[in-house]
Amino acid sequence: MNWNAFLEFTRGPLFNIALLIFVGGMTYRLVRVILLGWKRDHVPTMGSKLGGVIKSFIKGTLIWPFIPWVKRTFSKNPVIYLAGGLFHLGLLAVILLGAPHMLVWKSLLGFGWWTLPLPIVDWLAAGAIAAMIALLINRLVNPVLKLISGPAEYLNWTLVFLPMVTGYMMTHHLFFRYEVLFSLHMLCVDVLLIWIPMSRISHFIFYFFSRTIHGADFGKRAVSP
Amino acid sequence: MSEETIYQRLQKQGVSRRDFLKLCGTLVGAMGLAVPPLEGSNLPGHLGKIEDKTILKVARALESKARIPVIWLEFQDCAGCSEALTRSQSPTLIDLVLNTISVEYHETLTAAAGFQTEANKESVMQNYHGQYVLVVEGSIPTAADGVYCTIGGRTALDLLKEAAEGAAAIISTGNCATFGGLPKANPNPTGAKGTWEIITDKPVVNIPGCPAIPEVFTGTLAYFVIFGALPELDDLNRPITFYGKTIHDRCLRRPFYEAGKFALSFDDEGAKEGWCLYKLGCKGPTTYNACASLKWDAGLSFPVQSGHPCLGCSEPNFWDGGGFYQGQSAPLNRPGLTAAGAAVGGGLVVGAAMAAGNRAQKKRAASGLEEEKNQE
Repeated sequence: MNWNAFLEFTRGPLFNIALLIFVGGMTYRLVRVILLGWKRDHVPTMGSKLGGVIKSFIKGTLIWPFIPWVKRTFSKNPVIYLAGGLFHLGLLAVILLGAPHMLVWKSLLGFGWWTLPLPIVDWLAAGAIAAMIALLINRLVNPVLKLISGPAEYLNWTLVFLPMVTGYMMTHHLFFRYEVLFSLHMLCVDVLLIWIPMSRISHFIFYFFSRTIHGADFGKRAVSP
Repeated sequence: MSEETIYQRLQKQGVSRRDFLKLCGTLVGAMGLAVPPLEGSNLPGHLGKIEDKTILKVARALESKARIPVIWLEFQDCAGCSEALTRSQSPTLIDLVLNTISVEYHETLTAAAGFQTEANKESVMQNYHGQYVLVVEGSIPTAADGVYCTIGGRTALDLLKEAAEGAAAIISTGNCATFGGLPKANPNPTGAKGTWEIITDKPVVNIPGCPAIPEVFTGTLAYFVIFGALPELDDLNRPITFYGKTIHDRCLRRPFYEAGKFALSFDDEGAKEGWCLYKLGCKGPTTYNACASLKWDAGLSFPVQSGHPCLGCSEPNFWDGGGFYQGQSAPLNRPGLTAAGAAVGGGLVVGAAMAAGNRAQKKRAASGLEEEKNQE
């Protein structure tokens, strides 16, 4: 097999199919939840729903993740706090602010943006990979986590880990030829895109959705029956 | 065609023995052959034997062999590969190789025209059956029985098959003859194909490029002339000597890639500083060719050195392999709006249907609860 031909397939038709399944699947999941039904407001609200949403987002994205003593997140579980935080931060930075990934967004959306210098992205990626390994060990060692982890959790971990490792190896030209690693990276990404709507990795959208719903609920300041 | 040896011919042209050996050395270098160490060095004896010296081997071959007849066929091409070869600025090597072959038929270079040339080709094919080298330039149209390219009233497909039948070896030069090139680009109206897709029962060496690097072509041809065999090939039938490394591997801008310093437009500070062109669409990391080491115009420069990203012209489907100025990380194309709309629409419909079902279930459950309450 010629790897360049395989790369063309994983960058071209397979990526398109994966992207369509991802978009269709995420739409399906969101619509299914949203149309399930809403609780009616039986009493007039005293507060502001919008204010509640804003407050909830500030808490959820800025305060709780970055100020550990507010919810004692660090002292409760330092591994999860540090490794989990580093993983999410690294992943976000690499996907959104890494130059090669920005070019993907640019080709899909039609506009690009500022990117981080490669060495910084590189260290963040390495940090995220190390964090993922720490999180896996934690999952395998911690008795409670071990009990609640099934095949789906390990599959999630694998499917997120593979694109990260192949991407890192690719930028550093490690062990294999560039087009080999590039094709494998794209293949892993394509599989991940297809898997996301069927898995709990979809929390990357549902998180913001639930923060909105709960924020609005908290902001109501009304008696609920 | 004269039966005198290549060396005799060169002697007649006033090439001295010393110059002849120099040319042999150049040829050895161009073919990428290892040169054993000189006598008197401290290396093991068997490496220093005169018989093993590659240069002398080459010299002996050129001294004893007659010129090899070449038939050069042009189909759906621009003659750019021929132009590159004839205008090449490295006289010693190209002269040497052109002296070692005798081009019997070449539509662009042959002075004669019409039936005379065709008759000459016929006679070469008969007299040197199984000995001549066939060089193909340009892709071969296969749609509609090959009517899109005819020479002397015969289709390219027919001419190729006829000439390939008695060839000792076939060399495809340029991306068109190897992988279809520009004529094969989407939607490929002529059904263009590369030579090796059509001729499967003979060794076909691919020398892709747009155009092929003259030194790569001559080096490969010289290898065949001297050793009577084809060089080691990769999975796309390209000589590994020249196509074993990527442009990126040997690129002079590589340190900037490693340091993460990229030009973002053709006139920004990075471009002026000579930084990496990866973000301007350089295909160097996946393109196997010798541009970065052999370079062009007698080693003067090559595209990346001159400030233009590599287009990947020695790889299959390079015209359809994503935009030339689009970063290589970007997907080849994006799904059309219709496809995206269909995906979102499908998600909406199925999601809504599921939700409706779930709501009905919720209602049934609620009414069931009420009934239970009433019964109590």
